Order: sequence, then structure tokens, then C-alpha cells
Amino acid sequence: MAALTLDTIDLINPDRYVQHGYPHEDWTLLRREAPVFRYERPNLDLPFWAITRHKDIIEVSGQPALFRSTQRLFVVPHEPGMPEPDEAILRQLLNMNPPEHGSYRSIVSRRFTPRAVQQLKNQIEQITAEVLDDIAGREECDFVTEVSAKLPLAVIAEMFGIPRADWPMMFRLSNAMIGPADPEYGGSQTVKEALEQARMEFFQYFSALCDDRRKHPRDDLASALAAGRVNNEPLPVFELLSYFALLIVAGNETTRNATTGGLHALISHPEQWQKLKRDPALVLSATEEIIRWTSPVIQFARIATADTELQGQKIHEGDVLVLFYPSANRDEDVFEQPFTFDIARSPNYHLAFGIGEHYCLGANIARLELQVMFRQLAERFESVELAGPIQRMRSCFVGGIKHMPIRYRMRPRG
Amino acid sequence: MRVVVDHNLCEGNARCNEIAPEVFELRDDDRSYVLLDNPPASMRAKVERAIGNCPRQAIRLIED
Repeated sequence: MAALTLDTIDLINPDRYVQHGYPHEDWTLLRREAPVFRYERPNLDLPFWAITRHKDIIEVSGQPALFRSTQRLFVVPHEPGMPEPDEAILRQLLNMNPPEHGSYRSIVSRRFTPRAVQQLKNQIEQITAEVLDDIAGREECDFVTEVSAKLPLAVIAEMFGIPRADWPMMFRLSNAMIGPADPEYGGSQTVKEALEQARMEFFQYFSALCDDRRKHPRDDLASALAAGRVNNEPLPVFELLSYFALLIVAGNETTRNATTGGLHALISHPEQWQKLKRDPALVLSATEEIIRWTSPVIQFARIATADTELQGQKIHEGDVLVLFYPSANRDEDVFEQPFTFDIARSPNYHLAFGIGEHYCLGANIARLELQVMFRQLAERFESVELAGPIQRMRSCFVGGIKHMPIRYRMRPRG
Repeated sequence: MRVVVDHNLCEGNARCNEIAPEVFELRDDDRSYVLLDNPPASMRAKVERAIGNCPRQAIRLIED
């Protein structure tokens, strides 16, 4: 095979993500030789600047006025049946900017602080125990559909007050929103059709939920959004329903993939798995390392609003910048032995949740879910191994694992 | 130097308090407060680390 060069790197090819997972060799080459690299390919409508170092992602993220979030949330190669690159399916936090972004975010942000989230701990412990009870008494399961997908979905659905009977629909629509280019999630429809169909079903559902909470408010997220105001006005209906969809989708896709990827990493590093089983107090640092290692969000894009310079490269107004978070999380300048999976790593200032204005609203919930899940897994799994190959989602936006068959021996609830 | 926390951005992630507890305190309203407005120069590196690692980039250093 020819040596990898700046001309042959392949950063956003969704089929490559299915077959090989993350292009870490390509990102490593970029961090070393061209940390702000102009990436041009025939199947892109615009070239973009690939930002691959930890400190540059912080610099770009810390200047939301100069590097704006737009409808172009992330970059994908053009394929037939795609929406236009600047066509947003939703209008929500991720494509808003200050001061509007802060006004919208503050409608719910107090429910996501570390302190607020701690109040969910007992509920998360209980849901996790029940999820694991369902696979006890067997020796094999699909860890994704039977375990890792269930906890985050249940938690966000409970926070919204969505009845259990509707959870499978939330699961299906979230998959279609995040993985419309994957045949299992998008079906035989084009990407545009799959997204629009999922949006329509989501909006119908949330519209009814919202009406209900306006009449009968409860202490849940749906009621908070239904009563939410920006500049003393209720939210416009498109923004309101988009907000619901964002929190449901974001609340259940990424944590699922960190959970799956985390168990995969522990199975692949048996000495780390044994270490966690021996010392459950390591679950806090293990969780951070799992999040760093898996970095479920691959990229978000920004648009420069003025001519500027980054690492000696001239950036022009209107240029697209793409922040590759998994690359930052293997940055040799920040992490000692970045390609070593070390559950005791400390400090671990990874950027898997982003940083700055758009720092993941659900980061503290994701952390708590992962901490609880891996503590219970370490306690109950006597042994665990892969029972077949993993199947990755066809996406260059989120590093998804759709199926991971495992074989295990498990203790009943202790 | 003077340290300022923007309370419109701070969401109580407490990273600053972990890194520099002498300078930052997390209070009951889930926001970080500056205990030492003018920390000594010896603490500069620590304060800068807290600033760099604030998830919301809510802390600023103002040079007097």
C-alpha cells in the first residue's frame, strides 16, 4: 500500500467509517504536518479547513463571532438525494449564535448542571439495573440494541415525561435523524426524504406533547420548553419543535456510542477491564478516558465571518472550518501516549463535548450515565467477549456502532 | 491581573474549582465565583489552566 500523504488522506468518506472506523492515521499526519489544512475533493461543494489540533479547536470554538455556527452543521460528501449543504432540517442550538444561542440555551440549561443532574442518579441506577436484568440469565446479546441504546433513551425520555410506549418511536426517529445515509436507519429513502420524514413524525408528536403540557404543566423538560420564552415571546413553532427534536436525538445517540465503544475498548484491553473490576473507584477517570477514546462526535463546522489567520494559514471570510474532535483527543501535545487506553489517565482534558459557547449541554448527564453503567457492568459481568464483528453506522458525523454481539457470564443483581 | 467569570456563560461545571480552588468557588446557584480578584503572579499558570479548560470558556484574565 502506498504511504499516506496529504494528497491521499480521506477524512469524510462515510463508507470508510463503516469499514475501518476513525481515520486516526490521517488525522495524526495532519496534526504533525498540516494542522490547519485546506481539504479539497471533487465530491465537496466547497473546500474546507480541517482543524485537527487540540489548541486550535479551542481557539476556534472560543470565538463564536468570528467562527460562526450555521445551517451547515457538519460536512458530508455530496451524494444523490442529499439536502442542500446549507439546508437545515432543524433550527436549534447547534446552528444558533450569540446572543440568540444563550437565550435559547438558558431555557433549559439549569436542568443540566452537575448539581441538577446528580438528582437523577437514583433513577439512572435503577434504569441501568433493569436494563442489565433483561440480559441476565442468557449468555449472548446485542449490546447496542439491548443495553447501550436503552439507558440514554430511557433517561432523556423520562426527563421529557414521554410515556414508555413511545420510546421505540423515539429510538427509530433518532436513528433516522443521525444516520439517514445508513441503509438500516434511513431505509430505501434518500437522505433528504429520510430526514424530512423523521422530522415530520417528530414534529407531530412534540406538537401534541407541547399542547398537553401547556394545558397540564408538569415538572419536566417538555413543560419547560412549552413554557419557554425568548425576548419575552414564546418560541416560534419551528424553533420550539426543533428544540424538542435536538434534545431527544442528542440525548440518546452519542452516549449510546460512548457506552458501546467503551465496552469494546475494555474488551480489547483486558488488563484495563480487570483493573476496573478490581478498583471500582476508577470509574470516574475510566469514564473520561472512554469519552476521550471514543469521541462519538466526529466533527462540527464553522464559517469564518472575516479574513483571519490560523497557524499561519490565511482564512478568508466565508471559508468553512471543520473541527475534528477525535483528532484533538489524540493530540500528542496534550496527552501523554495518546494512543494508549488508560482508565486511570489524569488529568484528561479531552474535547469530546466541544468547548465554549456550544459545549455539550448534556455532558453531565452523559458522564453520569456512563459512570453508572460501567460501575454496574464491572460489578455484574464476570466475563465478557465479542461474539461477532461490530457493525458501524454509515456516517462521517457521528461514530456510531449499530450492533455489537457479546458473549458473557453475568451475576444476578447484587 | 484580574480574573472575571461571565455568569451568562458559566454553567457550574466546576473545572476551575478543581484546578484552582484558591481562586474559584462554586456556589449554590451553580455558578463559579472568584475568591481572589487579583491572584498573585505565582498562581498565574494555574489560573491560565483553569481558563483554558473551562468548558464554556467563561473566564477571562484582564491585565491591569
